Amino acid sequence: MSLEQAVFAVAGLVCVAGAVIAATHRDPRTAGGALLLTLASLAVLYAGLAAPAVSGAVILVALFVTVPLLVHVTVPGSRDSPAAGPAVAGAALLIAGGVLGIMLAAIALGEVPINVSLRVSDGYDLQALRDLATGRSATAVGASAVLLVAALAAGRAARRSGPRSA
Amino acid sequence: MTTAAYLLLAAVLFAVGLLGTLVPANALGRLVGVELMLAASAFTFAAAAVGFRELDGQVAALVVIVVAIAQAIVGASLVTRLRRAE
Repeated sequence: MSLEQAVFAVAGLVCVAGAVIAATHRDPRTAGGALLLTLASLAVLYAGLAAPAVSGAVILVALFVTVPLLVHVTVPGSRDSPAAGPAVAGAALLIAGGVLGIMLAAIALGEVPINVSLRVSDGYDLQALRDLATGRSATAVGASAVLLVAALAAGRAARRSGPRSA
Repeated sequence: MTTAAYLLLAAVLFAVGLLGTLVPANALGRLVGVELMLAASAFTFAAAAVGFRELDGQVAALVVIVVAIAQAIVGASLVTRLRRAE
């Protein structure tokens, strides 16, 4: 068994097991942790697919979206002070930023934890991906940006009109 | 590894997500299930991109990931609101 096959087998098993636990467990903390495990194994699988940009995106999603939302959902503020939830989520965001800083420093020093690198390597052309995203896929990328802003605005609006108006 | 193995793994992940969306009674379980299905579809795009030796699939995977982010934000807000309303 080659190294690639071993990585695929381990990451695939972890991915499926984490997905099953995330989808079936009733405890939100356990389900959220399993979802993070699934995302991490997916990032490893993307790296094995020679798609480091997508792998990096998955890691960023896990750090800056899944973890803060997980903390926000599982550690809500008390009914008297609903702002406690977002504050805890903000702390998680800071922690995620610290982890990302460590990763970026590791990449800058050449100690890449997994195959996530901005350098053009064999079989992967970052410039071509950039041209594609700004060329014939520009509409999709722009629509994604608008969708993301709309979702953030919707989430903010839902949080503001939470318990007080209910 | 062959592209078929990656596509098979994505299919299993999608099936688990579909199961999670249909089976659990709480809203958070359904949200996680939809997240898993979106992750599986993004993975399918990336695997197909490697199989066809085209980068379009990776761009599509990135777009699906952005959609998953938007869905997670809106879904988490709804779950929080539902919990506060209880």
